[in-house]
Amino acid sequence: MIDAPEAPAETAAQAPAASRNALEIRNLNFFYGNFQGLKEVSLDIVERKVTAFIGPSGCGKSTLLRTLNRMYSLYPGQRAEGQINFYGQDILDPGQDLNLLRARIGMVFQKPTPFPMTIYDNIAFGVRLYENLSRSDMDDRVEWALSKAALWNEVKDKLGQNGMSLSGGQQQRLCIARSVAVKPSVLLLDEPTSALDPISTGKVEELVHELKNDYTIAIVTHNMQQAARCSDYTAYMYLGELIEYGQTQQIFFKPKRTETEDYITGRFG
Amino acid sequence: MGDKHISSQFDAELNSISTHVLEMGGLVESQLHQAVYSLIHLSSETARQVLDNESRLNRMEVDIDHEIISTIGRRQPTARDLRFLMAIANTTRDLERAGDEIARMARMVLSIIESGSPRSLPSYELRMASEMAAGQLRKSLDAFARLDTSVAVAILKEDDALDNEYNGFLRKLITYMMGDPRMISPSLDLLFLAKAIERVGDHAKNIAEQIIFIVKGEDVRHTPMAKVESVAQ
Repeated sequence: MIDAPEAPAETAAQAPAASRNALEIRNLNFFYGNFQGLKEVSLDIVERKVTAFIGPSGCGKSTLLRTLNRMYSLYPGQRAEGQINFYGQDILDPGQDLNLLRARIGMVFQKPTPFPMTIYDNIAFGVRLYENLSRSDMDDRVEWALSKAALWNEVKDKLGQNGMSLSGGQQQRLCIARSVAVKPSVLLLDEPTSALDPISTGKVEELVHELKNDYTIAIVTHNMQQAARCSDYTAYMYLGELIEYGQTQQIFFKPKRTETEDYITGRFG
Repeated sequence: MGDKHISSQFDAELNSISTHVLEMGGLVESQLHQAVYSLIHLSSETARQVLDNESRLNRMEVDIDHEIISTIGRRQPTARDLRFLMAIANTTRDLERAGDEIARMARMVLSIIESGSPRSLPSYELRMASEMAAGQLRKSLDAFARLDTSVAVAILKEDDALDNEYNGFLRKLITYMMGDPRMISPSLDLLFLAKAIERVGDHAKNIAEQIIFIVKGEDVRHTPMAKVESVAQ
């Protein structure tokens, strides 16, 4: 057993020394115009582990996820300060190539967002932006990505069908396959199962478990049991601050902070 | 369990479980008093009452287990709620076993009475040990109701005294048996009875450990006393 990160919220929450960090967030502040959405957040996201972000609505967990691949840069008036170190480069660096960044740090949203095109093209579309593959190599890549997302067996005979024709759970796995297809190193999942039924949710959770062998995963979820089931580390956020960060087992069995305990046990704060 | 859950029904379920555990604890306490009374006063009637009541304890344990399973299944408790329910499951197990030991005491009292010459046995020597065990049990239930770890630590520390009392009694009993070998058979009954009293104290100690587990989240079973004290502070 590795020790749980012990650091208090105001300093960087350190990950265990034996593992490597995919992302090192330091003193991150985020502003929606004049409103501060994140306050001095510092934590490490460990490579090839699942890190879950939990907290009540408006606590900043989705905001934090959106800073990790600069999704916020699409919106004027939103800005981030601080540092996010991603294998030696600062994500917040204004010179960052956002297309390349988003290929390496993929994102899947709450509502499935398949493109209005065939299942095959949903996967191939992103790959074509970054790589020039032959037809047979592209076929292999599509099969590989759909297999990674545990969707291949369900769609292999209808790759020419529109992606929108799939069920909600299949659409979400298609979106995960699409992210995986460009071979990212980090996957950001923003409430990936909140629109899905329990069986589809179970499949996505199983998928998360499989994918962490190859990818670093950060997942935002309102479902605390999901965080408990799927993640290795859990961060509890409240009002834009990181309250507690530690091994999931520790957070759900013996959290250090009363605020965390009140939240996960469903008490009034 | 302190401050309230957003779901008042969850609070109601936990409170109901707590109440039932304390009711069960109360019955174990009264059973112990009755068993000790039957020993001191050689009352076969009281001993039989103790045996009759034992099935109630078994039923209570099963009922509380069902409540725990239902709450875990429906609420998916975490953190101290989870620890609380796990500790209750262990506590009811200990209470039920303490009840078994007390029933054993009652059976031994009946056997001693049937042996014919009970008044010459050194039964009275067990009064001190019985009071200590009853005190331990009462304190463990009080500490459980108030989730008081300092009382829990005190109970753990006092368990040695009860063990010493048992060992002292054992030496006296051996001397007594050597003096009158005809009394060996009823003396063995008394020995089993003394052992049962000592075991009741062990169960009280286990309950005390569960209190520390609920409050501090540390499992202090099989842990040296110095470590227990530092954890429970």
